[in-house]
Amino acid sequence: MTLLTLILCIIAFALFGLSTHAHHRRWFGGTITSAGKGVLRGPAWLALALGFVCAVAASGWVFGPILWMGMVMLGAGCVFLFLNLAPGRFERSK
Amino acid sequence: MSQSFRQSQATLHTWSGLLLGWVLFLVFVTGTIAFWRDGMNRWMRPELARVEQPMRVLAGTQRFLERHAGDAKTWYITMPSAQTPGAQLFWIPQPAEGAAPRRGRRDNQALIDADGDPVVARETRGGEFFYRFHFDLHYVPVIWARWLVGVASIMMLVAILTGIVTHKKIFRDFFTLRRQKGQRSWLDGHNATAVLALPFHLMITYTGLVTLMALLMPWATVANYTNEAKLFETLFPFVETAERSGRPAPLTDLTRIVADAERRLGGPAGFITVSDPGDAVARVSVTRAPTSMLNTRTPGLAYDGVTGALVWQSPPPGGAAATAGVMIGLHAGRFADTVTRWIYFLCGVAGTLMVASGLVMWTVKRREKLPDPERPYFGFRLVEKLNVAVVGGFPLGIACMLWANRLLPVEMASRAEWEIHVLFLGWLAALVLTLVRRAQIAWTILLGSTGALLALLPFYNLLWTDRGIINSILTGDYLPAGVDMTLLVFGAAFVAIARRVATYQPKARRARRSRPAPEAAIGGWEPAE
Repeated sequence: MTLLTLILCIIAFALFGLSTHAHHRRWFGGTITSAGKGVLRGPAWLALALGFVCAVAASGWVFGPILWMGMVMLGAGCVFLFLNLAPGRFERSK
Repeated sequence: MSQSFRQSQATLHTWSGLLLGWVLFLVFVTGTIAFWRDGMNRWMRPELARVEQPMRVLAGTQRFLERHAGDAKTWYITMPSAQTPGAQLFWIPQPAEGAAPRRGRRDNQALIDADGDPVVARETRGGEFFYRFHFDLHYVPVIWARWLVGVASIMMLVAILTGIVTHKKIFRDFFTLRRQKGQRSWLDGHNATAVLALPFHLMITYTGLVTLMALLMPWATVANYTNEAKLFETLFPFVETAERSGRPAPLTDLTRIVADAERRLGGPAGFITVSDPGDAVARVSVTRAPTSMLNTRTPGLAYDGVTGALVWQSPPPGGAAATAGVMIGLHAGRFADTVTRWIYFLCGVAGTLMVASGLVMWTVKRREKLPDPERPYFGFRLVEKLNVAVVGGFPLGIACMLWANRLLPVEMASRAEWEIHVLFLGWLAALVLTLVRRAQIAWTILLGSTGALLALLPFYNLLWTDRGIINSILTGDYLPAGVDMTLLVFGAAFVAIARRVATYQPKARRARRSRPAPEAAIGGWEPAE
């Protein structure tokens, strides 16, 4: 359950990250439309909410929310490092 | 929001972050390490085996105390666990007639090891040093230190809030990291470490202030409690002890009492107090371990020390006391299991990087505008030197201290104090270097030597202690192995940053003094512990 929480948070932030212009261009090429943004961001919020449920299921009502908050930060951190440090598929060579 | 308001917030952000930023850096570094307080307690005593059976240690503790302090006024025993080096205990002797109560520390404390015998290990403060330094600093009176740390925390809270207001773009630019772009890269790095762990930063700063609230804002207690004892009783309920009777009676088996208490409390025991052991009125109180609860003020039980019967239960805490207890619990993270503890630690690292990158950015921003880069004004030079001396120097001091822990002779007098003196000597050396060398060279030497010192420690452990990485992993004892591997990673990171600083060529004007490469912050590895 703990691991599932982390995976869901990573998915959520990966979607959030890919819905930004810069990263969308680096990974998919082309610009993102506002409809496209919605398609990515809706599931992202859903994944975060599901992550909360998993965290509470894993650690109960006292420690679950703390675990979730921690996993949100950890997931965001992982995605942040990956999106910025891994070479994107459509990256112009520097 | 008007531009001028944003501007004023930006100014506030800059200066509240800078003025006590170096204190904040120290607090962040030591606080981050202190999340592994028990881990460091064990790591710094490599002679000791892991505690496998806490009750066996407790039985040994009772044997030891009955032999050495059978007539003491009170015994205090910290319940051992697999995370702790053993059972830490101290006792207060019977007050002598007419003599002032003594506050000695040397001859009335002991550590009981996994086999239940008093420990023969190197003298060290272990992880306790980092924990105390986090709010008490060192060499200064505790009360001054706490005021200084308290004021620094308030400024930190101001800096965080104004940072959010000023740079509301940080949320939109959440995933942005522009690399190799000088000042912009520094800003992105600073933002990333701040925003990614923002919930942690807000929580840790606010709850940190809560831990000091009685000192910083005493008025609520002054207004509500005329009697300090009454306040103390409300916050920390305890059982009344009877007058010593003088009739000797053997103390019952502590392990039996603790086993019963753990069942009733619904969690492991943390702290055991025995008053008047060996007397007919002996009392044993047991509180639940704060490692098992969010509220750091845990419930307790009291037993008759002779019959072992339950005589008292702590009342349920009031709303305010529970709130404060939970906040302090959140701050200290004692409840954290391995996963949560790692998150706490990584957030602490992010906070340290945020403070460090903020401090360095103050000079990065102003360097471009210097009228004469060869001769910067006094304030600029002061900040620059302080940055090198603190951000570069303090981690070096810690690395020196860890080596002192390994190398100082075991029989040395006041060895534990000397470990700490070595930290400050190392730091002093860093300061001297900062004064005689220009920034780029000083950064390179400090970061590089810190990295080398940290990375070599695990190899020393491998060769000359019983708790090297391989041995620890084979025996399933991951705590010392984890510390060693973390040291390796940090050592490598420090060396990598040092290399970047050394090879950094400022693009613009040629003869300019330089800073560490802006891209150093990007990987998230910055001078930090």
